[in-house]
Amino acid sequence: MSKPSDLIQGTLDLLILKTISTTPLHGWAIAKRIQQISNDVLLVQQGSLYPALHRLEQQAWITSETKPSDSGRIAKFYALSPAGREQLAKELGQWDRLSAAIALVLKHA
Amino acid sequence: MLLLSRLRLRFQSLFRREALDSQLSQELAFHLAELKAELLAQGMTDAQATAAARRAFGPVSSISEQSRDHRSVSWLEDLIADTRIAFRSFAHAPTFFLIAVLTLALGLGTNTALFSTAYTVLFRPLPYPSPERLVTVEEGVGGVRPVISLRELAHSVDYAGYLPNNDLNLQLATESTRARAAVVTANLAAVLGVAPARGRWFTSAEERSGQHRVTILSHRVWRDRFNADPAILGRRVVLNEEPFEVVGLMPPSFAFPTPTTDLWIPIRIDPRDVGHMWGSGNLTPIGRLRPGATLAAAQAELPALNNRIRDQFPWRMPDAYASGARAVPYAESLAHDIRPKLFALSAAALFLLLIACGNVANLLLSRAVRRDREFAMRAALGARRGRLLRQLLAENLVLLSAGSALGLLFAALLLAALPRLLPKDTPRLHELTADPTLLSFTAVSMVVTLVLFGTAPMLRLWRGRSDALAGRSLTASRSTVRLSLGLIGVQLGLATLLLVAASLMGRTLYQLASVESGVNPTSIVTMKLSAGLSRCATSERCLALLEDVSQRLLALPSIRSVNWANYAPLDKEFSATAVDIEDHPKPAGAPAFVLWQTTITPGYFSALAIPLRAGRWFTAADRRGAPEVIVISESTAKRFWPNESALGKRIRPLSNQATRTVVGVVADVAQYSLTGFPHWVDGAQYVPLAQSLPRVAQSIELTALVESTQPQLVPAALAATLRQDFSGVTLSRLQTLGQTRSDSVADQRSTALLLATFAALGLLLGVVGVYGVISHRAAQRTREIGIHIALGASAARVITLVIHETLFASLVGCAAGVAAAFALSHLLASLLFGITNHDPVAFVTAPVALLLAALLAALLPGLRASRVDPALTLRQE
Repeated sequence: MSKPSDLIQGTLDLLILKTISTTPLHGWAIAKRIQQISNDVLLVQQGSLYPALHRLEQQAWITSETKPSDSGRIAKFYALSPAGREQLAKELGQWDRLSAAIALVLKHA
Repeated sequence: MLLLSRLRLRFQSLFRREALDSQLSQELAFHLAELKAELLAQGMTDAQATAAARRAFGPVSSISEQSRDHRSVSWLEDLIADTRIAFRSFAHAPTFFLIAVLTLALGLGTNTALFSTAYTVLFRPLPYPSPERLVTVEEGVGGVRPVISLRELAHSVDYAGYLPNNDLNLQLATESTRARAAVVTANLAAVLGVAPARGRWFTSAEERSGQHRVTILSHRVWRDRFNADPAILGRRVVLNEEPFEVVGLMPPSFAFPTPTTDLWIPIRIDPRDVGHMWGSGNLTPIGRLRPGATLAAAQAELPALNNRIRDQFPWRMPDAYASGARAVPYAESLAHDIRPKLFALSAAALFLLLIACGNVANLLLSRAVRRDREFAMRAALGARRGRLLRQLLAENLVLLSAGSALGLLFAALLLAALPRLLPKDTPRLHELTADPTLLSFTAVSMVVTLVLFGTAPMLRLWRGRSDALAGRSLTASRSTVRLSLGLIGVQLGLATLLLVAASLMGRTLYQLASVESGVNPTSIVTMKLSAGLSRCATSERCLALLEDVSQRLLALPSIRSVNWANYAPLDKEFSATAVDIEDHPKPAGAPAFVLWQTTITPGYFSALAIPLRAGRWFTAADRRGAPEVIVISESTAKRFWPNESALGKRIRPLSNQATRTVVGVVADVAQYSLTGFPHWVDGAQYVPLAQSLPRVAQSIELTALVESTQPQLVPAALAATLRQDFSGVTLSRLQTLGQTRSDSVADQRSTALLLATFAALGLLLGVVGVYGVISHRAAQRTREIGIHIALGASAARVITLVIHETLFASLVGCAAGVAAAFALSHLLASLLFGITNHDPVAFVTAPVALLLAALLAALLPGLRASRVDPALTLRQE
């Protein structure tokens, strides 16, 4: 098993916001989804995930709801708030600019 | 919207902590369960899956800790928790807490009260619009016509004039009382920018003689003497037996020129009354700079104005008339005399606060040393340094809040008492109340205090003392000891400074008390008597009234003599006359000689036991129509006729053609103040009352000097008798001559009293500090001391060992304090009398007293340490 990449905080926030942008998910599912979509490259550690979720919740960018999951256990589902949607758009824009810039440098330098 | 929801979240975090915590653990449990389910699906056994999930998940507690931190209110929660811990730890050390809080309260309270006073009196803007544009002229022209001329001629300033403190008889239905009037020009309200609360201000026509009988009342007089009569406007009041119409009522806040002013009346302009227009009355100018004009412009036009006014005088004025005139901001001139005193007292209060801070800092330091192990333990258990610092800060804040609350109370009490402690003529004291300024001063002092006393122990923690856990006994590091000794040095230095200042003032009081005033004050009661038209239409009737009153009083038991004078000795009233003196001609244009003039009845000298040096006292034969005579003081005779007898020499008042002949010389008397006459007075003369009755506008105000065998009983009896038998006569200021003398040094006494109080408190705090530090050091070094004793050290050796550092620090501090006092004492110079500001007695006694006190405070714990039982202390641990 490869060592999980360290996700810098801002990036993790962006990934979380993007992951729950279509449907509300609980913490476990968020971690799994990120892992699956990134082909097991990005392993989100629980130690980073929950603090990040609670931070985003305190910023009022995501809201939470406690309800039964597919497995029948009670879980806390996180969904994007309108403010979070704006924040996601902003961060996506920033990310695009940044990655484009890096790509440019890598290609031409 | 976003802000609101965030705010709601914070509130939840604060107040629904348990619910949020259980939600969090539920969430983490769910995650763990899902992880385990996945592992089970991969074929692990239940036990394997549980263990693997736990491993993969990591420490649950640290995750929940971090998540909790993200609730963003943890600092507030921490603060609340820290405060709770602080209270709990103070509950275990009540003595420490009490001493620290009391010390802080003392320092903060004194400081707040004195700084508020200084601010109110010296710096707070005056309660008029654009107060910074109000100016007055110091040492310039005075008098009715000169100030009116100033008003007419000035270009850069709108001048008005006022004459404060004119005591008048106010005739009410049942009795007549004294009321204090300010005589003002009609444009005063416009210059100050004020308006009556009801009615109107004076018109310029009302300055003309004949139309001047209108008055405006102060709110206080209207309320107290007229029962807040709603129909007061238009009502007639009788002032000095003349009817005046009330045309206005000022708002309660209006206190110009003094807060004791009861009413205002217009200046009376009567060109035919030359004496009134040019001679009498010190009408004082106050002005407002015209738009665009500056203080410099006001100053620049003064010399030309003064020259023109000098030439308008009906008699020749000295060339130097008003040549020293200075335009100064009115606020500055108002606070002129009180400034050095308030600066000195504020500085003393600040020093007291610093001493208090030093004490609390030392208390906290020794407490910190004792708690090294506690902090080391907590650091070892994972508390971060910032977290520990925050806890110390919380403890300091608790101390400071308690100290400030108590200090505020103390300040309010002190502020209520200060108007009585400070001299009555201190300007603007009536504006002094416990108000928001007070709170802001407390807040500033609090921050300063916290920095001063809180930093040292926190720095100590910051540098880290993690070795404390390893060390077996808790001893202070070298740097902590140095810090603590340094604090003691600074404290004692400041205490020395305070003590020197207090000694200087105390010595001044002593010098003043031992001044031979030249009169025998014990058995004399004085009172002011005034009478108007009905009693004093002519001088003869006036003198007859005085004779009647004297006879009536002499009929009372215990009264031995009754005499009359214009002023009693030391009542600080001005009474000077410009004169020509035989053998001492002045060139034209030079300033005339000025003699202090006391107008008296023949028995005055013997009643006051003033010895005769040459010639004779006045007799009943020195009456009107008889040759005009005077008596002069010994030093006056010596100054003008050092080598010959003054008897038979002639002195002529400039305002009067009658030349007077010297018939007697008497011993010197402190007539104006114990510190002597103002510098511009050349001598003192006495004039018989019968030849020169000071009757102004058909009314008189004289002082009766009643000699009695029971002076304490007299005032009430006098008042009762005279009020009953003499209508239209008003009495005021009944007091003994001793009281007059005592009042005359009220300024020095109040300064001395306050400084002595501060110095005593500073000394007490300093000594308590020395005691505390030595006790603490001795307690820390018990084992070391035990070893010394076991090895045969004598008690003296042990005591020296314990106290020598502290005593050395005290000595150094004291020396520095003396040096600082030496450099700063000139600030007190204007308040001193009879000694220089480098008075050796004060500069020696103060530090010696302080060092003795410090030695005493050191010896107590030192002695205790020397009685340590070596066996017991060595067996400890």
